[in-house]
Amino acid sequence: MSETLEALRQGFALALTLPNLGWAFVGVTLGTAVGVLPGIGPALTVALLLPVTFTLDPTSAFIMFGGIYYGAMYGGSTTSILINAPGETASIITAIDGHMMARQGRGAAALTTAAIGSFVAGTLATLALTFTAPALASFALHFGPAEYFALTILAFTAVAVLLGSSVMRGLLSLFMGLALGLIGIDQLTGDARFSFGIPQLLDGIDVMVLVIGLFAVGETLYQAWRHGRDELHAITLHDFTGMSREEWRRSWKPWLRGAAIGFPLGVLPCGGSVIPTFVSYMTERRLSDHPEQFGHGAIEGVAGPEAANNAAAAGVLVPLLTLGVPSSATAAVLLTAFQQYGLQPGPLLFEARPDLVWTLIASLYIGNVMLLVLNLPLAGVWARVMLVPRPLLFGGILVLASVGAYSLNRSMLDLVLLYSVGAVGCAMRVWDVPLVPAVLGLILGPLSEQQFRRAVAIAGGDLTVFVTRPITVTLLAVAAFVLAGPWLLRRWTMVR
Amino acid sequence: MRRAAVSLLLGVLVAGWAAPAPAAAQPVFPHLRLIAPAAPGGGWDQTARVIQQVLLSSKLARTVSVENIPGAAGTIGLARFVSAEQGNGDTLMASGLIMLGAIATYRSALTLGDVTPIARITGEYEILVVPTASPFQTLDDFLVAFKADPESISWGGGSAGGTDQILAGLVADAVGIDPGRVNYIAFSGGGESMSAILGGQVSVGINGLAEFAPQIESGIVRVLAISSGERLPGLEAPTLREQGVDVELENWRSLVAPPGVRAADRARLEALVGAMVRSPEWKEVLARYRWNDRYLAGPAFVRFVDDEEARVQAILHQLGTTRGEAVTLTNAGPYPLFVLAGLALTAAAAALSAWRRSRRAVATAGGPGWRAVGLIAAGIAIDVLLVERAGFVIASSVLFWLTARAFDAGHPLRDAFFAVGVSFGAYGLFARLLELPLPQGVLAGWL
Repeated sequence: MSETLEALRQGFALALTLPNLGWAFVGVTLGTAVGVLPGIGPALTVALLLPVTFTLDPTSAFIMFGGIYYGAMYGGSTTSILINAPGETASIITAIDGHMMARQGRGAAALTTAAIGSFVAGTLATLALTFTAPALASFALHFGPAEYFALTILAFTAVAVLLGSSVMRGLLSLFMGLALGLIGIDQLTGDARFSFGIPQLLDGIDVMVLVIGLFAVGETLYQAWRHGRDELHAITLHDFTGMSREEWRRSWKPWLRGAAIGFPLGVLPCGGSVIPTFVSYMTERRLSDHPEQFGHGAIEGVAGPEAANNAAAAGVLVPLLTLGVPSSATAAVLLTAFQQYGLQPGPLLFEARPDLVWTLIASLYIGNVMLLVLNLPLAGVWARVMLVPRPLLFGGILVLASVGAYSLNRSMLDLVLLYSVGAVGCAMRVWDVPLVPAVLGLILGPLSEQQFRRAVAIAGGDLTVFVTRPITVTLLAVAAFVLAGPWLLRRWTMVR
Repeated sequence: MRRAAVSLLLGVLVAGWAAPAPAAAQPVFPHLRLIAPAAPGGGWDQTARVIQQVLLSSKLARTVSVENIPGAAGTIGLARFVSAEQGNGDTLMASGLIMLGAIATYRSALTLGDVTPIARITGEYEILVVPTASPFQTLDDFLVAFKADPESISWGGGSAGGTDQILAGLVADAVGIDPGRVNYIAFSGGGESMSAILGGQVSVGINGLAEFAPQIESGIVRVLAISSGERLPGLEAPTLREQGVDVELENWRSLVAPPGVRAADRARLEALVGAMVRSPEWKEVLARYRWNDRYLAGPAFVRFVDDEEARVQAILHQLGTTRGEAVTLTNAGPYPLFVLAGLALTAAAAALSAWRRSRRAVATAGGPGWRAVGLIAAGIAIDVLLVERAGFVIASSVLFWLTARAFDAGHPLRDAFFAVGVSFGAYGLFARLLELPLPQGVLAGWL
């Protein structure tokens, strides 16, 4: 413990200089600015900004990385909250309550709780990374396909709290997502599934196309549909300064829980930082005293998932640094970047180059602080986006959505899909079908199916693999409890 | 958004200021575009970005941009490269053995024969690896178990039809077991398969040597065999061949130019790649990423690709990945059928309840906004039709303006002004600052 502290102190000593703080600030600014753009996720953001760091010495470069990385992870939530267009998959859940808050003039509060939550969870997770990384990483190796399958099932239970007003319509949305997830190459066999002979469909439907289409384009079309039907109520911003005392009181627990959920799940290479946000949202709603507010601007629904998202970002670094295993696309980009500076992630890293590792970890702390320094004052400024006249706002949203979708793969098909999905999203709003289950289905469906089949294939076709492995059984039991628990509890109290 | 643009500009200015001044004397390649047919973080993305950096730091090129066209293990990028880059003499694409596998597996209509070969540049050996706790001490132990009950042995590695599976097939074939009986577990990402191997989730793992070097060094895994011809210096790993399995395989990577480039351009690109592989910066990169120097250009490279293509096709055919069956309703497994049935049922139920409600409900006051939706639909249709013909800026301006018209009765001129401004801004941000190309269309000369 004391050795770790000493090493960390030396890392800070190397990292904490005035120019380095400047680089951290530049990194956070760039990361946030590019991460904000729809369709440009953290992996691409980091890849695009890497050349900027090539000319720096390793220490400054790591400082800037720390900033870029956390900035990119955070940036996506801004558009999510303000214009209902998540910048990346990890901020989809944020859009539900975050955007409702923005519509009620509480955009600044939503952005603030996201920023502080990101900071708190990011820092806690970095602390956990500092002290528990090796132990956690070897525990994560116990996770095989069977465990990951159970984990996706646990994440699926989040659907229960996302179904909206009617179970039937919620399930319809979920099955739409699952059906879209069928499209594309079967990862295990290489067979083309439901791709109708269109090569661009071989890799399936990009989650970002579905998300931007359903949320941004769908919302625009829906507003047009309602245009002239209900009187326009101008949005009044309640404040530009952030959160009220009440909102602080409701936020701090979700931040801590978000960190506790996000970090360990981030360590596991499964679905990046999306699954933690789903699990966090579900947890917050289950634990809340006023679950009816969820979906209508509950601040816990922003605080928890945003914290989980950033904690997962730190968790991803655990297998990367201690085992050399890149568990997400962003981590793979980071791996290349680290090698650039002679830092070879792997089991020997902490012994071979302690100077670089500890500088990097110190940089993460600094990047996190800078994230707060940059984004707290900006929250009030961003919140004013809601004051842009609606015609211009919606025009801008459509242009940004189209450019985001097109530049994902530079494919016209994605653009056509984007608008088709947008039309469906509008229809879903008209008929009161919830949107998020569809996204959840598209993300989790393929993951779940693949892990299930891998587990069965490894076991030689033996299905008991799901009930004989302790971690699998535990996860499945938790999932069952989450689904049936509230109902059982009600029955029990009624009997008494 | 403006704030984002300003801060980004600031960052780029800072970066430009920090960059060293370009060399004066050397003849430099003015602008090179590198296509990575993979997503950021993928193998070819890494190759392309490393080349970008070497060309810039060795001052062989003034500017180098990397563009990602991900999809289907590179075959989407290949198709796009052939159709959209025809004759472009300043463009290279990363390719290699994995693309040959993907071409066969996904029955791509285009092959590496449809592009202009430039050179093979790197190679990486493959290893058969187990965690230290595995019961298999040697390749022999493993092969005995495999031959006794082939299906009980799971081989973990990268995506279906990739180098890892090719090696599994070659090994099985060489020891006299039908490759069709290999229980190969394809993982989607490098990280996923690595953790499955390290955690002992599969009987044996196949992976590139370079990615596993740190784990080998630390002794948490044991290399059963390496796919090189000779033992490598500094690595205690026996080759497949010396253990009686007559297989050699190297995951090579190459650079290709678009079809139809002029002879002068081709020579220029070949000279650029030739100069790059001779540079000290490149040697340093090879050592750092543990890549083998496999520079091979000209007719010898073309012959090499032909030979590899034949070998890969043959083994993948035996492995059964080239069946490339198009799965449709008739041959889908239980899971797709479950999902589609669920979709049909819930859709029917939801439609029924909506119909019941609509009969009961009183018509809401005021009709839906058909005019507004119509205007936006027109904008979208024009955008889709025009974006690749007239260019992004024009198509987006029309889309913006019509959308604004849908919500606004008062300010057509103001809206037009903003439409053009926002479209130009978005173009500048994505295409210029971030180098994510957008169609230029008829404005190509001005942008």
